[in-house]
Amino acid sequence: MDVPIVMPQLGVDIEEAQIDEWLKAEGDAVEEGEQVVIVTTPKVTLELEAPASGVLKSIAIPADEIAKVGTTLGIIETE
Amino acid sequence: MPKELFVDPQVMRKADRLRVPEIPVHAYATPLAEERQRYGDKTLIRVLRDMMMVREFETMLASFKAQGAYAGIEFVYKGPAHLSIGQEGAAVGSALALKPDDHIFGSHRSHGEFIAKGLSAIAGLEPAALAAIMEGHQGGAMLRSVEKILGGDNETEVAETFLLLGLLAEIFMRASGFNGGMGGSMHAFFLPFGAYPNNAIVGGSAGIATGAAMRKRLGGDGGITVAYSGDGSTGCGPVWEAMNFSSMAQLKGLWPEEHRGGLPVLFCFNNNFYAMGGQTIGETAGWDRLSRIGAGINPDAMHAETVDGTNPLAVADAVARKRALLVEGAGPALLDVECYRATGHSTSDANAYRSRDEIKAWTAHDPIALYAASLKEAGILDDTVEAALAEGVAARVRMVTAAAVDPAIAAPVDIRANPTLIGELMFSNTAIALPPEPVGTFNDPASTSRVRQLAKKARHGIDENGGLHSPMRAVTIRDALFETLLHHFTHDESLIGYGEECREWGGAFGVYRGLSDILPYDRLFNAPISEAAIVATAIGYAMEGGRAVVELMYTDFIGRAGDEIFNQMAKWQSMSAGMLKLPVVLRCSIGSKYGAQHSQDWSGLVAHIPGLKVVYPSTPYDAKGLLASALAGNDPVIFFESQRLYDATEMFHEGGVPEDYYQVPIGVPDVKREGTDVTILTLGPSLYAAVGAAETLAAEHGVSAEIIDARSLVPFDYETVLKSVRKTGRILLVSEASERGSFLMTLAADIGRYAHGDLTAPPQVLGSPNWIVPGAEMESTYFPQAQDIIDIVCCELIPEKNTDYRGLRGWDGLDLSRRGI
Ligand SMILES: Cc1ncc(C[n+]2csc(CCOP(=O)(O)OP(=O)(O)O)c2C)c(N)n1
Ligand SMILES: [Mg+2]
Repeated sequence: MDVPIVMPQLGVDIEEAQIDEWLKAEGDAVEEGEQVVIVTTPKVTLELEAPASGVLKSIAIPADEIAKVGTTLGIIETE
Repeated sequence: MPKELFVDPQVMRKADRLRVPEIPVHAYATPLAEERQRYGDKTLIRVLRDMMMVREFETMLASFKAQGAYAGIEFVYKGPAHLSIGQEGAAVGSALALKPDDHIFGSHRSHGEFIAKGLSAIAGLEPAALAAIMEGHQGGAMLRSVEKILGGDNETEVAETFLLLGLLAEIFMRASGFNGGMGGSMHAFFLPFGAYPNNAIVGGSAGIATGAAMRKRLGGDGGITVAYSGDGSTGCGPVWEAMNFSSMAQLKGLWPEEHRGGLPVLFCFNNNFYAMGGQTIGETAGWDRLSRIGAGINPDAMHAETVDGTNPLAVADAVARKRALLVEGAGPALLDVECYRATGHSTSDANAYRSRDEIKAWTAHDPIALYAASLKEAGILDDTVEAALAEGVAARVRMVTAAAVDPAIAAPVDIRANPTLIGELMFSNTAIALPPEPVGTFNDPASTSRVRQLAKKARHGIDENGGLHSPMRAVTIRDALFETLLHHFTHDESLIGYGEECREWGGAFGVYRGLSDILPYDRLFNAPISEAAIVATAIGYAMEGGRAVVELMYTDFIGRAGDEIFNQMAKWQSMSAGMLKLPVVLRCSIGSKYGAQHSQDWSGLVAHIPGLKVVYPSTPYDAKGLLASALAGNDPVIFFESQRLYDATEMFHEGGVPEDYYQVPIGVPDVKREGTDVTILTLGPSLYAAVGAAETLAAEHGVSAEIIDARSLVPFDYETVLKSVRKTGRILLVSEASERGSFLMTLAADIGRYAHGDLTAPPQVLGSPNWIVPGAEMESTYFPQAQDIIDIVCCELIPEKNTDYRGLRGWDGLDLSRRGI
């Protein structure tokens, strides 16, 4: 099953954030709750956790790109 | 905060018992025979002579205060005289263990420490160095005077007389005094002898000496700093803040190897058991023995000891041992030097708070008499030598006094001949030039996402279609400040930055975000929640030759650093007649949404205090350039930033925010929109309310408004505003500060005076009401809005528009009209 990693709502007046760094590469195994990607709003830097265990199947938004709240940043494939 | 520090619940939750190190009390027991080996008889006799010198000097001051005469010299001395008669053992003992490049920071009662340190430095310096120092002070004028009155050329005698005359001339506030007559008794200093500023604020030196110690560590100058203060200062919060700051664990754990270690600062409490009339022992303090407080600061209990200040050799021994620890990096240290103030707190003291019996009991413990007796007993001194010493000291002090009251040698400061003399001392208005290439050790900025992100951002806030860029896509004020900070940090090795949450958190509002990946701990660090220490240490760091940019999360926390901002940061440049430079930039964010204790614009409060440059930009272009001027300049600057504007992008400056480094001069207002009918002078975020108002005024009322952003409060060049008013004949001043006593009121009054003939209506001021800032939902009823501006323009300034108030304002006139006035 594919589980998307979604850019969360990071604050009421935040519409988008930047991908700072992917901590995992495509094909890497990830555990639910493990930090996979660092994102930055104008004010803060946050680490997003994997929503499920599996393999990071694809990265949709690479580092240094900006993504709107609600956008799929990448996909985790579970067994 | 750093992730490598793991707060382990297994460890934290385990039952344990803390062990506090033993704190020695009067442990000194070295036989005099051993001290003779250590110091030699000549030095032991000099200790006696130095104590006599301090005593005679202060006896002279006491005599002037009581009788208006000393040794046949008549003189009226109006200033303060906090004497340390009875405490000479503490001053001379500690100076004996200090080296010329150790720096002392004293209190209101520091004549003794000043003289003792000076005499010790003179004994320790090479003749050539001494000569250069004296030649360097006021172009050698004081040295010439000393040579003339002495008629001899014994180098030590010349230097000692120079020391006493420079100090006494300063106490009498003469132009030739060490501070050019701008300091006086409680503020004297002479840096080349390691006598750094004394402080009239109880405990004021603690934080400053701590910052100076930090500079000594980072600048590699060697030596230690000493913060002298009294037992009463243990009741002062800023003293505790300083002690905690100097013991921060990161100094020993996280700072780079070459700068690791507790700060080399000795907190030396001259404990005479009393503040003024309040008695620390048994009344106003609970420590029982002052040294106990070391146990509250760190596991070493600050190497605290209680020492017998009556015996100069006991003090010297303790200071020497603490000094060795400090140099090793095991600082800070604390000494409780018990001594007794034989005379009153000041000359107006009636001694109502202590018994005659007590005073009498302590006369048997006079440091000079006891020490002289011990030297005699050991055969080092006899009555003849003792009498000769006393005579020599009396003659020297008499000679110095005669010189200090002689206007031909020590002329009074002539304000009448130069009425703006003091005004010219407030700021140096000088700046450093940064080298073209980066200097220092730091990680490649391009390796951080912040810098990569910035490179992609638009430099202007308006996109190709005339729409607004989001703050993720265009340079904001937050970014503009970051760019200047990054440039200065990478081009000025003497600059350090700190504040609460400055590293990983990125500063309270993310201005620093990314900098902690670039700069090591000793350039940028998280400070404790100690606003007083944050500001005081920055001042000490600057006094010692460094440069600092420090952050207060909210302007509303200025109260916690009140003395440090109002009395220290603002005053030391002028109290030193310009000899000290204080390149300190204090960044304060002005809040919003968090209610009354987190949202007030206090820019006018600091603008009121002479000696601070005050800046409040509201656009990215101005923020970047003004911060550059502040960081390059050598004067202290309070730099305000609005939290509501951190995400603001550039709307005014053609081409947006330049990528390269540039400066915007402090003090020059800027026309943001040209117009012909009315001038709107704004400060801070009110600029944006004014822009909204100007658009409506043009579209609906046919009024053309000219908008000027003040940008700075101090200094303030009126030229731009007066030119505008000459054209429009009307002016409205708008800011978010409460109106009563606000800076805008001052500007309005001045503009009324300067532009009287050009104005067709009195200047109008629109600020916030004189009540607390309400919560987020009510803020629009509080901070001036575009409609409030329109109301004043159309109802007050151009009444022929004949409109009614539609906004919420008019409240100040309301009460008057209710009462029919
Ligand atoms: C912040 C502050 N509060 C009060 C005073 C007024 N004052 C001057 S000296 C003094 C007593 C200080 O006692 P202590 O620290 O023991 O020093 P001592 O006078 O005994 O040398 C007081 C209350 C001051 N100068 N600064
Ligand atoms: Mg005291």
